[in-house]
This record gives sequence, C-alpha cells and structure tokens, in this order.
Amino acid sequence: MPPAATQDGPGPTADAPRAAAGPGVALSVESVSKTYPVPLAGFKRLFRMRSRPPVEALRGVTLSINEGEVFGLIGRNGAGKTTLTKIIATLVQPTEGSVGVLGFDSVRDEERVRAQVGLATAEERSFYWRLTVEQNLTFFARLYGMGVAATRRRIEELLALLELGEQRRRRFGELSTGNKQRMAVARALLNSPPVLLLDEPTRSLDPIAAARMRETVGRLARGTPPVTILLTSHNLAEVEELCERVAVISRGRIRALDAPARLRSTRRQEETARVRVGSVTPEQAARLLGPAVPRAETSARGELVDVSFTREVGDGLLDAALRALAAGGARVVECESERGSLLDVIEEFEREEAEEGSGEKEAGGL
Amino acid sequence: MLKSFLLLVGRVRAFVVRDFQLAVSYRLEFFFRILSILFVTMTLYFISQIFAGGFDTPYAEWRDPFLAWITALPFLNYFMVGFSSLATAIRSEQAQGTLEGVLMTPISVPTLIVASSAWDFVQATFHSFLYLFFGWALFGVRYRGSFLLAILFLLLTTLVLASIGILSASFAMVFKRGDPFGIIIGTGSALFSGVFFPVQLLTKSGGSAFGYVSRFIPTTYGIDGIRRVLIQGQGLADVGGPLVSLLVFLAVLLPFSLWVFTRSVRRAKREGSLIQF
Repeated sequence: MPPAATQDGPGPTADAPRAAAGPGVALSVESVSKTYPVPLAGFKRLFRMRSRPPVEALRGVTLSINEGEVFGLIGRNGAGKTTLTKIIATLVQPTEGSVGVLGFDSVRDEERVRAQVGLATAEERSFYWRLTVEQNLTFFARLYGMGVAATRRRIEELLALLELGEQRRRRFGELSTGNKQRMAVARALLNSPPVLLLDEPTRSLDPIAAARMRETVGRLARGTPPVTILLTSHNLAEVEELCERVAVISRGRIRALDAPARLRSTRRQEETARVRVGSVTPEQAARLLGPAVPRAETSARGELVDVSFTREVGDGLLDAALRALAAGGARVVECESERGSLLDVIEEFEREEAEEGSGEKEAGGL
Repeated sequence: MLKSFLLLVGRVRAFVVRDFQLAVSYRLEFFFRILSILFVTMTLYFISQIFAGGFDTPYAEWRDPFLAWITALPFLNYFMVGFSSLATAIRSEQAQGTLEGVLMTPISVPTLIVASSAWDFVQATFHSFLYLFFGWALFGVRYRGSFLLAILFLLLTTLVLASIGILSASFAMVFKRGDPFGIIIGTGSALFSGVFFPVQLLTKSGGSAFGYVSRFIPTTYGIDGIRRVLIQGQGLADVGGPLVSLLVFLAVLLPFSLWVFTRSVRRAKREGSLIQF
C-alpha cells in the first residue's frame, strides 16, 4: 500500500525525524503522565466548592515500539489504555513526558503526527450516520489531502479488504455493529499510515469476521512497507496470537512488558498437566502415580481416566507420571498442559496493586 | 504555497459536499425553508402597507419601511450565520462524536474554522438572495447603488461577526453550553443595530446610554452601510465612516479570536474533553 501522496507538511515519507527517533523505532513513549484536571478548579477553590480530586490516568509510562511490530496493550477498563492511545493520536495532551511518532513530537508536530497515525476506536459515534459508507470514507480521505482518483482507488481497496463492498451505498446508521467497526478500521487505513492504533478492533465481530480481521492485521504488519501496530484488546487470545510484545497496564502504570509467552511463564511458574489414559481404572491410575506424583487427581471419563496434577514448569514430574502410567500398563491417549494465561497475569497484578494499596492505607493510618 | 492553498480548497470542498449530502438527506427541510422566507417577506410587505400613503419620517432610509426591512433582514441572516455557524458546527460535531474523527486527520485549526462554516455561508447566500429576489419579483422593490460596494460591506461585516463566532466556538469547546456571545450578539443585533427601526430612535426614546450600545455592535455599521448603498445609492466616498469602523473591528477581533480558539482546542485536549458535550 503506497502512502497517500498529499499531506500537510512532510507526510509518512519524511525521513529526517525518523532518523532522530533511532533506527527501527516507530513509536516512543517517554515518561508520559496524564492527570485529567478538574473542570473550573480555580473557580471552585475560590468559592470553596467541593470538587472531586483530579484523575490520574497515566503515571510515568515509558515504552517504545519498533517499525513493523505488533504491540499489545492489555489491562482492565479504566487502566489507561485509551488515554495512552489518544495521547499518541494527539487527541489528548500529556501532562508530562513526550510521545514521538517516527521522530515527530505529538505536541509540537501534531499535524505531522496525525499524518502518520491511523486510529480505529470502538466509538461508533465518530461517523456521520446519515451518510453512506462511501460518502463517509470519501469525506475523511479528502481531509487527509487525497486526490479524487486516489480516494476512489483507496476506498475500493479498503471496501474489498474489509468486506464492505456490498454495504457501500448503505447509510452508516443502518450498518451492523460489526460493519461499523470495520468502517473504523477502513478509515484508519485511508491514508496508508505507517503507524496504526487499533482499540479493540474485533470487539463486535463474529468469530469468522474476527479471525479475518486478525489475519488482516497480521498482513499489514508483514506488508511492504510494514505497518507498526499498537493493539489494545480485552481478547487476550487475540493479543497472544498477534503481538510480538505485550505491555500490561494497571492503574496508569506499565506493570510488565515482554513477549506474551515470557510474560506468562515469568509470572506463573506453575502449570496444570492433564493426561487422559485407558486400560486402567481411576483407582489403579492413582496407585500407579502414588509415589511419583503424590498430589495427582484422577476421575473417570467414560471408559477413559483423566489424570491432572500441578507441576513447576520444567520439572521432571510429567516425565515421571508418564513413565509410571506406562509401566503399569496404562495406555496414554492424550496429554496437555495449561499454563497461566495473560488473564492470570493481569489478575495477579491487580491483586498485587490491591495489596500495595491496602498496605499504603494501613501505613498511612498508623 | 499553491499546494497548501489547493489543499485548503480541497478540504473546504469536502466539508461543503458533506454538509450538502447531510442536508439533502432531510429533503423536506429545504423546501420548508424557502416557504418560510416567502412568508416572512410577505408578512413584512403587508405590515409596511399600514404606513402606505400617510407616512412621513425624518429618516431618509425609512420612507419605505418594506425596502428598509428587505435590505436589512437578509444581511442580518447572513451576519448571524457568520457569527453562529462555527459554534453550531463545533457543538454539533461534539454532540455527534465526529469532532475526534475530524481532528484525527492532519487538518489545521484555521482550516477547520473555515471549512466547518463553509456550507452555512453557501446556504445563507442562497437564502439572502431569496429575500431580495422575492422583494424584487413579487413586490416591485428596486435597488439602487453599487452591488459590489454592498457585497464589500457584507463580506466585512460577516468576517467581523465570524471572529466573534470563533470566540463563541471557543467557549463551546471549553464550557460546552451557555455561550454569552450568542446572547449579546444574537439577540442584541436585532434590537441595537437598526434592523427593524432607525438606531437614532434608541437615543431619542431610550436615552443616550441605550443609543451608545449600538455603536459597539458591528452589525450596526454593516446594515447602515448596505442601506446607504442600496437605498440611497451612496458611493464609496460617502460610506467611509461605517467602512472604517468595520475594518477596526476586524483588525482587533480576527487575530484575537484565532488565538483564543487555538488555545481552547489545546485546553480541551489537555482536559480530554474534545468529544464531551
């Protein structure tokens, strides 16, 4: 996908600031904090009116994303994901710190940053509901400075890519939630931006459409030139499938940042092993495992027996169990292990945060 | 330079096309608007017939009240668009949630200002023309003087009111509702700028303080100039007073309002309230 030909100032092809950002870095977030001020705080103070405390949405967030990388941002509602995305997209200004997109500063060079970034949010209201799919996309394409022919060509490509061709003459308000979501992605891709911010891109899609969307996202990242993607999602399987690295954000702080597999394994050293065997009863299986795997649980599943036990990742327990069962005449039918998911990782951080919070409160109370 | 200008034209055109497409999606409204302009023109004509034959006034432009109204009303309509269209557009984009989508594109603040109001001006031009056309075609009104000079007054007054409109939009951006400029200029113009009666009557009947207010309303100078040109047939040399007054208003208000609007967008971004309404 070639970048859009016309932009305000240097468009996605400008390379001087890119060099300043460091080789291969598409997006850098440096010590970004965001506190939403209380509206009319001075006025309220003057008249001694009661007001709620300011909301601290982000606290010292630092991360960098390489060109062509698919980077995931996970966390609960209100953790700060959307605020960070909007700061990168120049829609919200940080209180402290800076964001660089291909070397352009999100506050000083905001128009240039907007020419580099496409944002697809799950916010349906950001389109004109009485205009058709085509009219909406044409309007936004013209704002990106695209010419008539380029607009027409690009819209055709995107309608095909996102399977919206049949909907082109339907009003936006008449679209299904899933198609509205595809429209958001189509708009974000209009000017072929080198950086794409996707806020829950598959939230309202059916499983097949979601799988296709994931495929599209993957293809964009592998394309020429590659698109750098920041993906926020509540679908952790999706994040694991797509993202090379994931940051866990909780209460405005990045709590961990690593490859999904490493994140899971470093936080959760245990896994549950499940072995399905035949030719033995549950009691016989328990006896066979007894000395080698003392905490194994067995249960009947039709003519087969399910055996499960918890083990430390990398220990010899699974090997010992399989040997003991085989030696006792059991036939191993299936074997699988289940490590902690990213959900466990988030929950663990939440627990830690809650404990830290209550600890601070107690300390403060003393 | 040429590239930037073409880019600006392309973006303004995109807004005009969008607003036209939105307008035609409500087809009946268009015809009812034309009908309402016809009804207003007819109403003014019949009111003016009360004074037919036995009306003497020292105010030269008011000897034919229908002519005085029909020259002021379309321009007042135009001025009000200049004043209110940006704030209305911003409020509507905020309420719809589309402002964020627009501000995600590499569009500059001045472009947003010009482009958001463009369709309203296209519409206002058409509606103002209808007032003048109905007056001429149905009620035999004959206009005198230079239309070019009248258009100059129209443009100047519209720009001045658009500057106040930018201040109004800045207020909408930050405080969302309760715009003080709308109350002062919107309702004040009809009372203080001589749309329905000579401004001299304000001093005569209401006292000097009352008459003094009209001097601070730019519309007063715009309507005065247009009437002098279209009714009395005065030339450029005769209308220097209102022309200079409008230029002074413009020189002060335009840069100030642009500065305030840029700051208000920045503030909304700081507060994260760009799409709140």
